[in-house]
Amino acid sequence: MKIITSWLAGAALALIAGMSSAASTGNTIATVDPEADRLALQAYFQKRFPEVELADYGNGIYALDAASRAQWEELEEFPPYEFDIEEGEELFNTPFANGKSYADCFENGGIGVRQNFPYWSEQQDQVVTLELAINQCRTANGEKKLGWKKGKIAQISAYMAFTSAGELIDIKVPNDKAKAAYLDGKAQFYSRRGQLNMSCANCHLQGVNIPIRADRTGPTLGHVTHFPVFRSKWGALGTLHRRYGGCQNNVRGTALKAQGEEYRNLEFFMSYMSNGLAVNGPGSRK
Amino acid sequence: MNKYLPLVAALVLSSSTVAAQSFEDVFNAQRALHGNGHAFTFEGEQYTTDHPEELEAAAPANATNAKALIASAKAMHAEVKAVGYDWTLTKGILKNASKALKAGDFQKAMNLAAQAKYHARMGVAQYHNSKQSWLNMVPE
Ligand code: HEC
Repeated sequence: MKIITSWLAGAALALIAGMSSAASTGNTIATVDPEADRLALQAYFQKRFPEVELADYGNGIYALDAASRAQWEELEEFPPYEFDIEEGEELFNTPFANGKSYADCFENGGIGVRQNFPYWSEQQDQVVTLELAINQCRTANGEKKLGWKKGKIAQISAYMAFTSAGELIDIKVPNDKAKAAYLDGKAQFYSRRGQLNMSCANCHLQGVNIPIRADRTGPTLGHVTHFPVFRSKWGALGTLHRRYGGCQNNVRGTALKAQGEEYRNLEFFMSYMSNGLAVNGPGSRK
Repeated sequence: MNKYLPLVAALVLSSSTVAAQSFEDVFNAQRALHGNGHAFTFEGEQYTTDHPEELEAAAPANATNAKALIASAKAMHAEVKAVGYDWTLTKGILKNASKALKAGDFQKAMNLAAQAKYHARMGVAQYHNSKQSWLNMVPE
């Protein structure tokens, strides 16, 4: 009977890059310090890739891998997401049946606000992502929810990101409840999952820039800046949570629900890590 | 070649990096080297390299035992799903176990159920282990 199958990938990667010094606090509400976490993460990448400018991390793997960067720059000359931005703008501006529109649900009419998402909502007692806010806006106005991972929601999100280009990500953790959500996201990022027993950090932190099949794993710093992403493999635009699900499946773990509490908390943590980087979505990836 | 892969995995999987080898470390190393059904000693006691599920699957192959093992595998699967750590292949393996049972292939049903139950138990262990060890992965 063959029970253990292919632990290889996990084992190999985990062995490649051990942590030189691991944190010993930061796993409780009392000790977790988002700003210290962010600075430590930046320092980690800057030490490993001293030649890479901080601002370039928004370009994902292309910040580290010159070979694939050239291809990508070519791809970006005729951006595959251009149509989606236009479509998103139209959807954004089309009034609901009750005459209201998305603009009524967001600060500044929804223009140039991407950098403030996700945020901790005191009122809702949860992390609110941009996609969640888009669907909440719909249901508040008597419209049906959109699917979370692709299609219209990604197009609207892409347009909203586009209107926020260059704004610096500005996530806040205002109180202990928000801290708990942040901590949950942090724990998820570093927890091993799936049959391959790997965490996000195994691939996107310690294992960053390691070739896996036809890809190299990009740095988690800057992971969120350019979403939603038009991915050649999808042949379409997809949201961040769609990508989370794909990565969890790849380690043979069952993906969690898009826009469920876990992924929203994970996005909260990951977005805080990218505070200070510029919004540059939508993006294109292989 | 394949035979040695789990050894590497076992080294990585063991949460403790301290010098003293835990039972789990020794078990995993022995299993990786010898496969299942191998006897070894740990702190003076005799053990075998079988997973508990494999011992369950070694019971007489009949409908009653196959049904019972599938039921307990399903229960373990429900447990791992509840903590959000189930592995992708487990569900399909369980389905195939039920199919084999229907087809009257009791040994196959028991082997598959054992495999699914093992996956699920490892997923639950992974969940608990992650809680203990995730902090070790955070750079300072
Ligand atoms: C087995 C390695 C592996 C693991 C584990 C993994 N990923 Fe990935 N991930 C990849 C690869 C390969 C890509 C595609 C190349 C790239 O852009 O990094 C990718 C892409 C991504 C992207 C898109 C990057 C971009 O620039 O658009 C995000 C976001 C992401 N992963 C998040 C996660 C999260 C969150 C986790 C943990 C739940 C995770 N990944 C776990 C391998 C992995």
